[in-house]
Amino acid sequence: MKRSQFLALAAGAATVPVLAACGGSGSGGAAATGAAVEGEVEPRAISWLLSRPADGAVISIMEQIADEYAAENEGFSLELITTPDRPSYIQKYETLAAAGELPELFDTDATPFAAKLAETGQMIDVEDLLTQFGILEEFRPAALDYQRFDDGALYMIPLEFGLEVFWYNTALFEEAGVEVPTTLDEMVEVCETLRGADITPIAVGGQDAWPLERYVAYQPFRIAGPEYIQELKRGDAAFADEPGTASAEWLARLGEVEAFEPGFSSVGYADAQAAFTSGKAAIYNMGTWELPNLATEELPEEMRENIAFFTLPVTEGSVTAENEYVAPSGIGVAVNAETYDPLVRDFLEFALGRYPALYAESGLLGPTTVDPVIPENALPIYEEAIAAAEDLGEATLMPWDTQLDPTTNSRLQQELVLLVQGDVTAEEFLTTMDSTLEENAPRYFEDAEG
Amino acid sequence: MLPHRSRTSVVLFLAPPLLLFGGGVLLPIVQSLFLSFFQWDGIFPMEFVGLENYRRLLFGDDIFWTAFGNQLLYLVICLVLQVGGGLLVASLLLTITKGREVFKVLYLMPAVISTPAIALLFQRIYGGDGLINTMLSAVGLDALARPWLSDVSTVLAAVSIPEGWRFLGLYTVILYAALLAVPREQEEAAALDGANAWTVFTKIRFPHIMPVFITTMIMATTYALRGFDIPFLLTNGGPGQASELVTTYMYKTAFTSGHYGYASAISVFIVVECLVAVGLILFSLRRKDA
Repeated sequence: MKRSQFLALAAGAATVPVLAACGGSGSGGAAATGAAVEGEVEPRAISWLLSRPADGAVISIMEQIADEYAAENEGFSLELITTPDRPSYIQKYETLAAAGELPELFDTDATPFAAKLAETGQMIDVEDLLTQFGILEEFRPAALDYQRFDDGALYMIPLEFGLEVFWYNTALFEEAGVEVPTTLDEMVEVCETLRGADITPIAVGGQDAWPLERYVAYQPFRIAGPEYIQELKRGDAAFADEPGTASAEWLARLGEVEAFEPGFSSVGYADAQAAFTSGKAAIYNMGTWELPNLATEELPEEMRENIAFFTLPVTEGSVTAENEYVAPSGIGVAVNAETYDPLVRDFLEFALGRYPALYAESGLLGPTTVDPVIPENALPIYEEAIAAAEDLGEATLMPWDTQLDPTTNSRLQQELVLLVQGDVTAEEFLTTMDSTLEENAPRYFEDAEG
Repeated sequence: MLPHRSRTSVVLFLAPPLLLFGGGVLLPIVQSLFLSFFQWDGIFPMEFVGLENYRRLLFGDDIFWTAFGNQLLYLVICLVLQVGGGLLVASLLLTITKGREVFKVLYLMPAVISTPAIALLFQRIYGGDGLINTMLSAVGLDALARPWLSDVSTVLAAVSIPEGWRFLGLYTVILYAALLAVPREQEEAAALDGANAWTVFTKIRFPHIMPVFITTMIMATTYALRGFDIPFLLTNGGPGQASELVTTYMYKTAFTSGHYGYASAISVFIVVECLVAVGLILFSLRRKDA
């Protein structure tokens, strides 16, 4: 009965967002597009609903900045409400949004849901905000682009930046006698040979769904570029089109050669990483935000000599270049228009001025062009990975879970597992996905644009 | 007939729990019913769609029917383990004289452990080199070892068993208490007349505990029809929809897809489903009883 109560509570609050949407530009004193706001800074407690690891760099730095700000502005405090588990976070955030109860700051990807919030005037235009602060130019263009909606509008502030590469175990590659794959097709062959040598080719944390979902985006990004997913998600393209079909067939082949560890669908994030760092699996597709675990002396000793990485392989006739792949700036911070006031603006200006230098000390690639400080215990590969950011091309692969409407996305996550496990064929996969897309995408995006 | 003053006090004392029940349970059900006639994503205004959500649910949603089928199998496994297993264990407890209390506590233990802990426990048990696979290979049955939570043919049973197991002790204790109340003289008289243990059970004990049995059946059935947490934590309904239950599907529809109206229609279905199940149990068992 609990869930129906919850639904009903959400229903009770039904009128709130409607009112909020109407009041955004009129009574609240803060127009949705206006990052400028007049008046005195009156310190108070503000909250930030976020989805980041509790012991991570972002949280500790923001806490430090908030303390500094509070020292100058008595009465100010920043309450952090974190839910690191992403699916749980999204549910929490979307439910709060539906109830009109979002706090001053909240994390979100550039999802269709966030686009709806922006469109109904519930978020502050971040491009405008950063321009007014005079710091827009300091951000990496790729970091900002990752946060943009399809129409180029920017409503989220990036606090991180990373490259997603394929880490591999050189010793296991040598043992099986395989070379780094240069094309996606070669990757299947590499996996087949590795499996033949009794080595688990790829470690993937299937429980979180997104690590496997990355793979479905690779063929289309190489064959048709970033436009395919933009058309696909609106139902203007189909899964059964060439890029989608190539992707499904490629994944089915990866499944056939048992490229992923058995039972991968219930393997967690940490377990997948452990499978790679303990030398049980040969390849691990992961972002540079894991550098402290993968490329420092944190790594088990026997792995330190054997770790290397390659970037997303291309295809024959690939329209995107080798240096173009997934380079996400992580979940972004949105500013609630309803609660926006001189204090929020002042705090953000203060925080964003201090953040880049402090974040660089964490040794991670940041959203701005301030170079990270390489930690003392880093392996040589650490710097190589950081340097790859300089060489990044223009096109960005947007992960599909941030692009598709939620229903199509969860069906895709489910069907992908079945496809790779060989429980459905590539054709069945495409048919299911196209009918799900047809039913949900137009409705979802029509609403968003209506 | 109660005197006037005492009737007032009855009303006075009953009102708060009734209000709580009405506000906390009945009102949300009514609100869900109301919401189920709308299409609402939580952001844009609600749109009245009449019976469209129900039409889609009953005639156009393959996942829903898969989930419903899964829920029935989940129900059967839970009932067999909880009520069937509970009755068996309770009967066995009656036959021993020493250490009954210890066994009762041991059996009841899982019911007080928190759900996420149980989910983690079973995740390890079912894992690639977990308890089950290790034991299978120890006795030379490697061929049977598999990733239990990833195999579409085993996953549903794999997520049902922990739920059945954890409440086994609860139903054991309830049924054991009922069995203790069966008059010894009748059993002894029957035994003197030459009835064997099975006849004593079917003709004397079981009819005697029927009212309690009906209650446990209703409890176990409604809990299983609302079962959610362990499958959600272990597999989140996957792989594919192999362990999707109506409840997990409803949750995802509301809080992942943001289709609050459609999810309300599913929640109304769950309420109806529970009422029908309770009706069926009462009807079939009461008739047998009579």
